[in-house]
Amino acid sequence: MRHLEPYCLIVGGVRLELVRDTLSGESLDEPEFAATPARVRVIDGALACIARQGVAKTTLDDVARAARCSRATVYRVFPGGKDAVLGAVVDTEVSRFFSALAVRMGAATDLEDVLVAGMTEAATRVSEHGALTNLLVHEPELVLSQLAFARMDEMLALTCAFTTPFLGRWLDQAESRRVAEWAARIVVSYLLCPADGVDLTDAVQVRRLVRQFVLPGIRALRVPQGANGLSPSQGTAVGVRRSLQSNRSLPTTKGEAS
Amino acid sequence: MDGPRQRILEATYACVARWGLSKTTIEDAAREAGLSRATVYRYFPGGRDELIDAVVSWQFLLFFVSLYEEVHGATSLEEVLERGLVFARRSLVEHEVLQKMLETEPEVLMPKLTVESNRTVGLVAGFLVPYLHEHGMAEGVEIHEAADFLARMILSYISSPGHWDLGDPEQVATLVRTELLAGVVGELGPALP
Repeated sequence: MRHLEPYCLIVGGVRLELVRDTLSGESLDEPEFAATPARVRVIDGALACIARQGVAKTTLDDVARAARCSRATVYRVFPGGKDAVLGAVVDTEVSRFFSALAVRMGAATDLEDVLVAGMTEAATRVSEHGALTNLLVHEPELVLSQLAFARMDEMLALTCAFTTPFLGRWLDQAESRRVAEWAARIVVSYLLCPADGVDLTDAVQVRRLVRQFVLPGIRALRVPQGANGLSPSQGTAVGVRRSLQSNRSLPTTKGEAS
Repeated sequence: MDGPRQRILEATYACVARWGLSKTTIEDAAREAGLSRATVYRYFPGGRDELIDAVVSWQFLLFFVSLYEEVHGATSLEEVLERGLVFARRSLVEHEVLQKMLETEPEVLMPKLTVESNRTVGLVAGFLVPYLHEHGMAEGVEIHEAADFLARMILSYISSPGHWDLGDPEQVATLVRTELLAGVVGELGPALP
């Protein structure tokens, strides 16, 4: 899988901070910068260029300058040239995005929190992403073609694959998958088409949305399953479900009138 | 309604269906409509961009008119949503011109579709408000906010159903009763077979 390498790199811990610092520029001292792998420097250099001037106008010379290395180094790390750099940028950013999401969702203590944390973090990451916001304004076709129809289905599947495990503490696998996909839809919709008075980078507002629309839907989803029993493919999860039953914090108690 | 403007739209659509969005020129549209280039510019002073945008808007409108016709005899909110989702998804999948352009020139089409669908959120929400009003809302839910949320979700499922099969009436009934309506009007219980 293409995402694996940068993902491991970042999940490794400290390095994530180091990588992010190179983006914001000056705070990093020279020895630390020199210690950053060339691959990461090139990727972050490219990101900085895209945030400034978009994809079409970014040349490999720009990338090399931003990465403070030679053009030859860029080619040594990415023999495929600009396309290869861009591919690595996308993979790296996807991995960083899901790593950040994992940190937030992993720290949540109940179902409501895990949803609020995941959705808020996702919305915040996207709206504060310099390269992405520049593209949405100046080269929207690059981003938008990924966020509808079949490409969006792929994106939803990817999001499900990454976030489903974090919901698994409170929901069985089929429910987790549904809810992960649903939450991703909500975030994408409000980001692409902002609504008056709904700001998903604000955890308070996300919590209101989750309580009002999402949690009742989750409760409704599990009613028929409880009544009909589990399908054979879900059978293996029964034991896990039971063992979770006692400490599963059902959202009913979370203070909304139903 | 059948004035020159409409004729130009239809002619442009025919060209787009044949050659694609990016290859269709003002000259093509004029020739197809049997009008002069100057006439096309009189109706679309913004030129090609304005013309193509107008064609996309017009097709969107047609789509929503047929969607409205499909659901307007429905007797309940659930039925409106179920019929609407099934019909809309099928229409998109079977829309040959749309599918062809999504395959060959998504980068030209998508920004226009996104602009249109953002406008459409308001239209769909407005359409739903009377049904919500009649049905009654869950406690503490503001009707316009709920309609807006529903509209967004509906557009999302129509465009990208994810793991939902919108051709399966049972799944559609479940979707409507859970992710769409449970928080909006209160939980409805399992769908009746």
